[in-house]
Amino acid sequence: MGSGHDPSHDADELAKAVYQELHRVAASYMRRERQGQTLQATALVHEAYLRLAESDPVWTDRQHFVGIAARSMRQILVERARARGAQKRWGGMNRVTLSETLVGAAHEDAMLPALDEALSRLEQIDPEQARLVELRYFVGYTNEETADALGLSPATVKRRWALARAWLFRELSGAAAG
Amino acid sequence: MTPANWQRVRDLFERVLEEQPADLDAWLAREAGDSPDVRDEVRSLVDHHSRAGRFLMEAPAERFASLLDDEPLAAGHVIGPYTIVRELGRGGMGRVYLATDSRLGRSVALKAVAPRLTGDPANRERLRREARAAAGLSHPGICTVYALEEYEGDLFIAAEYVDGQTLRQELLSAPRPAPAEILRTARDVAAALASAHARGIVHRDLKPENVMRTGDGRVKILDFGLARADAPDDDPRAIRVTQAGMMVGTPGYMAPEQLSGERGDARADVFAYGVLIYELACGAHPFASSTALGVAARILHSDATPIDALCPALPAPLAAVVDRCLRKSPAERFGSAAEIATALAENRPSPDRAAVDWWRAHQGIIIALYFLASLFAWMIKEGAGSLAVAVFGVVGVAATIGGILRGHLLFTEQVNARGLVAERRRMERATLLVDAVIAVALVVDSALLSTRRPLEAVLIASLGVGIVLAKLVLERSTSAAAFDR
Repeated sequence: MGSGHDPSHDADELAKAVYQELHRVAASYMRRERQGQTLQATALVHEAYLRLAESDPVWTDRQHFVGIAARSMRQILVERARARGAQKRWGGMNRVTLSETLVGAAHEDAMLPALDEALSRLEQIDPEQARLVELRYFVGYTNEETADALGLSPATVKRRWALARAWLFRELSGAAAG
Repeated sequence: MTPANWQRVRDLFERVLEEQPADLDAWLAREAGDSPDVRDEVRSLVDHHSRAGRFLMEAPAERFASLLDDEPLAAGHVIGPYTIVRELGRGGMGRVYLATDSRLGRSVALKAVAPRLTGDPANRERLRREARAAAGLSHPGICTVYALEEYEGDLFIAAEYVDGQTLRQELLSAPRPAPAEILRTARDVAAALASAHARGIVHRDLKPENVMRTGDGRVKILDFGLARADAPDDDPRAIRVTQAGMMVGTPGYMAPEQLSGERGDARADVFAYGVLIYELACGAHPFASSTALGVAARILHSDATPIDALCPALPAPLAAVVDRCLRKSPAERFGSAAEIATALAENRPSPDRAAVDWWRAHQGIIIALYFLASLFAWMIKEGAGSLAVAVFGVVGVAATIGGILRGHLLFTEQVNARGLVAERRRMERATLLVDAVIAVALVVDSALLSTRRPLEAVLIASLGVGIVLAKLVLERSTSAAAFDR
């Protein structure tokens, strides 16, 4: 304190930026939540923070951070879905309900583990596609925000997102056939 | 599919979306006639794209709450011998209910461990082990664990039901407690924590939410050894990311080493204890920041706001204990809560800061009066007889000795507060003697002066009387207020 340059200041500033970003991300989750759910948004933020702190405490910049945060969000949600027996419900669906489910976007938590696995396969073909899905879907970013985070144009994101959706949709509806 | 082919598929797919060719097969034959693989893949993807509907169009927001949450049990719900009365709250491990144990007819706090924590067999086994260890703790300051129950695959922990307020609720509602009250709470929490540390059990999530005050004013620590049972213990640096569903309330009570991903030992509890007592005393967090993450960053990188700046009324030894608890390096903190308890017991009785300031002022003023007395005696001896010279000599020597003795006490109070009681006792008779000698000498001077300058004589006599009265009356009360409470 008192000196012109406090080394803790930078860390404070970075942490503040990171926290605000996380909160924004969490808020995008909570947008449609009923009131009184902010506690959970905060809990998610803390949980994501702790994972971040453990995995890689030095964030080079905001984009780097957002990428890791998105990955954390994906892990947290998929783990939760797994723990709640999502696979069992997923496996129990027949093909007709499955297609309707996928198209209608219902029961998505049952789908999350399967989606996660499909996403890992997509990642091997095209890692950037996986990053895009994490941001666009798991974080809930808009095309513009995703474009900003990936350093692409919004138009490119829009097209690539369509590709990723088509690819994953095929993967998931195909998986149920077998 | 080769990377080059995938690149082509991607580009063609995007162009199809843009150009919307009326005859897709013809378009594909023209654009990718050489590669049936690429053609088929693009056709398949375009086909699935047209059928995908709302697939992935909504972020898992609506599912989010239900994913984080476990459904609550309704009142009247029966689990084995327990009947749910009502929900008490939610913790890191799941919901906590007030329930009745029909076997003994007593109320218990029934903690339903969230399924996400019990899915993994290794995790489950660890929970059992930690619950067993916590059940072995028996201390009036620790909430007793009665049993670990398993019904239909779900884990429940039955514990003593503590009726009262958490320290968090107290912090939010009650006015700041008096220093003596804070000291009492600090001692009680330290004693309870020490009894667990003695058995090798670490809390790992000590915070105001986890300490209750019962109706009769006693404190009880909740969730011993359980709150962070989801952290792996076999590998101290294992990344918790691999553990399904970890949820922690706030990083504000985690020691720097815990924030860096280590599991932390008793000294992490010592850190959390420091934060807790600090907060209780000052009503503010030692690493306060506008955001929780800012708090975490300050815990890792910057010093706590000095406690005496925020809370000057706090007894100095307690402030010193808190200060040591909050050190960044675990090695610089107390080794365990037992050491805190010892430190707090040794410092009984604890001085009151404002009273200590009065005591210091008193000592300083008396030293100044000694100097004044010497000055007067020197002035009086000018042009007076040999008796006045002798009086000056006596006053000069006595004032020097008195000044040194009182200076020594001031110094001791600053650097070795603990030794002050013994030093004050040692100096008591010497300072009394010095003051009496100076007073007598001043009275003699006053008598010598009385015929020539009666007004000054009266002033000098009263200075002497004042010094003795200050010794006998004022110093007793300033000392008593400062040190003998």
